[in-house]
Amino acid sequence: MYAIPSSVEVLVARDLRDALKLASELEDARVMAGGTDLVVDLKTGRLRPRYVIYIGGLRELKYIRDDGSSLHIGALTTIQELLDSEVVASRTPLLRAVAEKFAYWQIRNVATIGGNICNASPAADMAVPLLVYEAFIRAESVEGSRLIPVREFFKGPRQTALRRGEIVTEIIVPYRGLEGSGYAYFKAGRRRGHDISLVAVACVVKVGDGVISDVRVALNSVAPTPVRATSVERALTGKKPSLEVIEEASKLVVHDISPISDVRAPAEYRAYMARLLTREALLEALARVR
Amino acid sequence: MIVKFILNGKPVEVDVSPRETLINTLRFKLRVKSVKRGCERGECGSCTVLVNGNPVTSCILLTIQVEGAEVTTVEGLVGDEIFERLAKSFIETGAVQCGFCTPGILLTAYAGIKQGRIKSAEDAKEYIGNLCRCTGYVKIIEAVVKAASEVRSSGRV
Amino acid sequence: MGEFKFIGKRTPRKDAEAKVTGALKYTYDLEVPGMLIGRIVRSPYAFADIRRIDVSEAVRMGAVVITPDDVPQKPYNPRLVSVHEVTFKDTYILTYRPRYLGEPVAAVAAPSEELAQRAAESIRLEFERIYKPILDPFEAIKPDAPKIHERIMRGDKWIEVENNIAARLDYEEGDVEKGFEEADVVVERTFKTGKRYHMQLEPKAVLVVPEPGGKITIYTTTQSIHNTRILISQLFDIPESRVNVVRVPIGGSFGSSIQTNYLVPIAVALALKAKKPVKIAYTREEDMLDHSNFVFYFKIKVGARRDGVFTAAEFTNILDVGAHQVQPYPLLGTSLGWFVSMYKWRNIRYRGIAVYTNKVPGCAMRGYGAPEVQWAVETIVDEIAEELGVDPIELRLKNYVGRGDVFWGQGPTVRSIIKSDGVPELLLRGKEIINWDKRGHPSQKKGRFRRGIGVGRGFHTSGAGGPISGEVVDYTGCILKLNEDGTLDYITALQDHGGGTLDAHVKIIAEELGVPPELINIATASTETTPYDVCTHASRGTYVGGECARRAAQIVKQKILETALRIIGRAVNPEALRIGYDDRLKQAVVYVEGTDVKIPLAEIARTAWQRNWGTIGAFVSYRATSAPPSFTVYFVEVEVDTWTGKVRPVRVVAGADVGTPINPDMVEGQLHGGFAMAWGMAFTENTRYDPSTGEIAGRGLITDYKIPTAADVPGPEEFTVILANTYEPTGPFGAKGLGEAATNPAVAAILNALYNAIGVRFYELPVTPDKIVEALKERGELEW
Repeated sequence: MYAIPSSVEVLVARDLRDALKLASELEDARVMAGGTDLVVDLKTGRLRPRYVIYIGGLRELKYIRDDGSSLHIGALTTIQELLDSEVVASRTPLLRAVAEKFAYWQIRNVATIGGNICNASPAADMAVPLLVYEAFIRAESVEGSRLIPVREFFKGPRQTALRRGEIVTEIIVPYRGLEGSGYAYFKAGRRRGHDISLVAVACVVKVGDGVISDVRVALNSVAPTPVRATSVERALTGKKPSLEVIEEASKLVVHDISPISDVRAPAEYRAYMARLLTREALLEALARVR
Repeated sequence: MIVKFILNGKPVEVDVSPRETLINTLRFKLRVKSVKRGCERGECGSCTVLVNGNPVTSCILLTIQVEGAEVTTVEGLVGDEIFERLAKSFIETGAVQCGFCTPGILLTAYAGIKQGRIKSAEDAKEYIGNLCRCTGYVKIIEAVVKAASEVRSSGRV
Repeated sequence: MGEFKFIGKRTPRKDAEAKVTGALKYTYDLEVPGMLIGRIVRSPYAFADIRRIDVSEAVRMGAVVITPDDVPQKPYNPRLVSVHEVTFKDTYILTYRPRYLGEPVAAVAAPSEELAQRAAESIRLEFERIYKPILDPFEAIKPDAPKIHERIMRGDKWIEVENNIAARLDYEEGDVEKGFEEADVVVERTFKTGKRYHMQLEPKAVLVVPEPGGKITIYTTTQSIHNTRILISQLFDIPESRVNVVRVPIGGSFGSSIQTNYLVPIAVALALKAKKPVKIAYTREEDMLDHSNFVFYFKIKVGARRDGVFTAAEFTNILDVGAHQVQPYPLLGTSLGWFVSMYKWRNIRYRGIAVYTNKVPGCAMRGYGAPEVQWAVETIVDEIAEELGVDPIELRLKNYVGRGDVFWGQGPTVRSIIKSDGVPELLLRGKEIINWDKRGHPSQKKGRFRRGIGVGRGFHTSGAGGPISGEVVDYTGCILKLNEDGTLDYITALQDHGGGTLDAHVKIIAEELGVPPELINIATASTETTPYDVCTHASRGTYVGGECARRAAQIVKQKILETALRIIGRAVNPEALRIGYDDRLKQAVVYVEGTDVKIPLAEIARTAWQRNWGTIGAFVSYRATSAPPSFTVYFVEVEVDTWTGKVRPVRVVAGADVGTPINPDMVEGQLHGGFAMAWGMAFTENTRYDPSTGEIAGRGLITDYKIPTAADVPGPEEFTVILANTYEPTGPFGAKGLGEAATNPAVAAILNALYNAIGVRFYELPVTPDKIVEALKERGELEW
């Protein structure tokens, strides 16, 4: 279809309060930021909500602030803005690495970090670094605001922990404590040019006193939601980093994932790539450790 | 509702339903036909326009999203020095075949050169994600790199 | 080559300015007042019989509605290139018996897209029976398989369809058994392709305008305005003189608009009912449901002697046609033709069958079987070379069909002798550039990243002309006229899909007359203002169309010289008169060498006008007597990441023998594009079907139909083009075609390079990364 059907009513929120009021009152409503996922779904008929609450014009939700231990990123910050931001590059370089591989330039200019995680595709690019950084998602409603730890945010394919009436306004990405750590991100696609991930792995590794003191690994496209590879992490924490240790630990990722076969790739390949990219990401992250 | 924005340097005012997509507003209400429908799903880039100088796929943008913004299509760049060099480079290199992807690619390349993002062939490949089925991209990349270097040496960027 | 004034020069294409400024209008950009928008209602089932179509709601909304009851119920074939006797017809404008998911069953038209969409969605289909779709041709030909079609027409006759076989073609030459006995090495392999989709950037569209006096004008994405006209005339019983099809710029085609696409008769039916203009434009998903390529299954057995000479070949070709025939029968013929014309097999047996399945109908895709056949043949030739321990290039040179040999590229009824052949030059130059001798053997290659070099040699015909008329219509025509100021109007029905065909014609005319190309206009064209041209396909645009243009220019030249003689008045020997481009005056002049006799063409034209001497022009209808091969050779170097199965192109050397290159940058552009298309065919492109529903997996979104992006192909530094120094005596100024040859052997080169890198041969396309990883694992390479 060429257009969003007339059965869908699009309401333009005047400000955040207005948006929250609409979100609390309306049944069967979706919130739209950049629209790069939602508008496609509306046009193809995959989604037919009664209402769309457009919040893309709320400039107050577009910012990147550094409070000294975390970055506070407004939900409407675009992926390109993340990619171009110096503070993101220096404080949360993994975020930048993921933004760099996100779709292609036209989409990055419009897609937002809030929209990407709220769409909650199993392949959501931005979910992966946020899981690694153990970010907090600020969800606001007319009743107030709460912080949802990112690990509790993704409930299933395209399902989040948001309650009716809640809108994500900010993502808080802690970086304190990760000084000197190494990071890495690998995304496998079917082409070299822009693609939805077949598997993507992000990780951060910290080494202290010769052993791995902190390791966080996250993957997407290999489970109903983006996941942390806790089996891998447990196998590495406290260990002296070596090729054998990394290889053995990477194989354990199979316990943390449940890949499916679909038009994009068979499950076995996804599982294999999850192991491979986990290993490669860990090795590269270790190489970056200072 | 009324949406006001600048199209190719001129202020415009359109009365649109909030669900109207920018490509439809441009093609049907404002009669800008250079913006092409290639897929309507944000995948091919044929519908690319510049919003505040940045390329976006107008097929998945709602017109309300450009309230107060500057929207540029190739019609608005005729006469612009960087665009003229780029267009000339495309024509001379032979980077135009069926022409359907051409306006979208020109806008993307234009923005990339103007913002200083595109200097080399690698940059061009990174920033130009538009699809083309005819040319195999080789001459497109060649033309863009040539124009980028001309623009740089002319001191305009 | 250097003696040409215009041919071979890099000049901007005439429509370049309109394309870069966005001024050029394609079909979808056209609008007429009062126009309705049409939308097609499609079958949600791949194999079903509809009992009733409830359109009451749509009618109530005020939409114009058509069902199968409102349109002529004649079976037709959308493609009119084959002669009537071998035209197989099983398509209906709208049907109660859809045979693929997405087949048009009804249509609506309304004043806006929104209304049309709602009206279309309101239509209810009641099904009599829903069958399980048959998606595997090997299942379809089983005796107990349900019949997808019971009766179809061939020409004027109804024929029963047995075992879902749409067509067959068998051929034998020599004694194959004896040939295999003589062989020291026999290689037998099976091959399977995916079902590719053309993915031309412009989705198909049509605008039908009823005119006063019962005429209709049609604007559509087509490679043949005349065949569109004839088909509509036949389907709706409207005399051709009342149907005018206008040529509109098209955003790529690659064979998908050789036939008149389904939306055209539907739009005509809507327009006739509504008595208003109707425009239909496909969404990208609908475009993927309109046509895609065939699926090819090959079994090929080749025998060779120790000295490298081939002795016999057996080729079984099973085509998965999809739900309707567009041109599987001629494809059986051309597949044979490509096979036979690759190498001198000496004894041949061919069995070809085309089978119906409940998939999107297959239609020609750039190369029309040649990329597939040449992939298979070039793989086997490489394998034979390896078995015999000889250099693959030497083996090719020893056996290929080249200069002086009998050639029948488009099928058994069209034979000629090859007169120009750049193969040795291209192979020998190409191998130097890519360092062929240093490519190594896969067994020597280790490590994560492995490189390999492969070669693919192939060709395509320049059109489908021949000495005797056979099963295919192939002729063209043009009009060339001198305007009153000495400029020219060139009028042809041929279409430019983007490759610069018409610009080539202009250069040919310019060269013949000495008129600079800027002064030759490519006129707007429609069926009522142009002589018949069958279709811009089969890479015939330059070779056939260009030669027709040249002949027209020759006739115009003669008339100009005669007119000049009248003006000169003096006793000039007519045979001494020349016409040519004057460098100083920058225009064409008629002159006599060594004398002061010189008149600018502009003056001649003006004089003829003012003195009432009549229009100087030519009307030519032309059929080529042969369809000479344009040879192409690809050397490709790839790098395989053996850990992920991803492959990237490192270096490409593309060699083309096009005779005289008319537009060198267009030649290069075709090779670049042809390579990209081959890369997609090799690694990513396939429309896969859900086995239980017959729906295209991924719902037809191009999110899951991946064509290469700029990041996937080589850059300008890594792609070298070499052109052979040949001259085709039967072509205009020595030129041959290129459009399809530009892609045909590239897949073979890529797959051969893959083998050289990792030592694995793949016989099924596309070779997705998981398949490479699987193959390496099976060899015990990847520990996990």
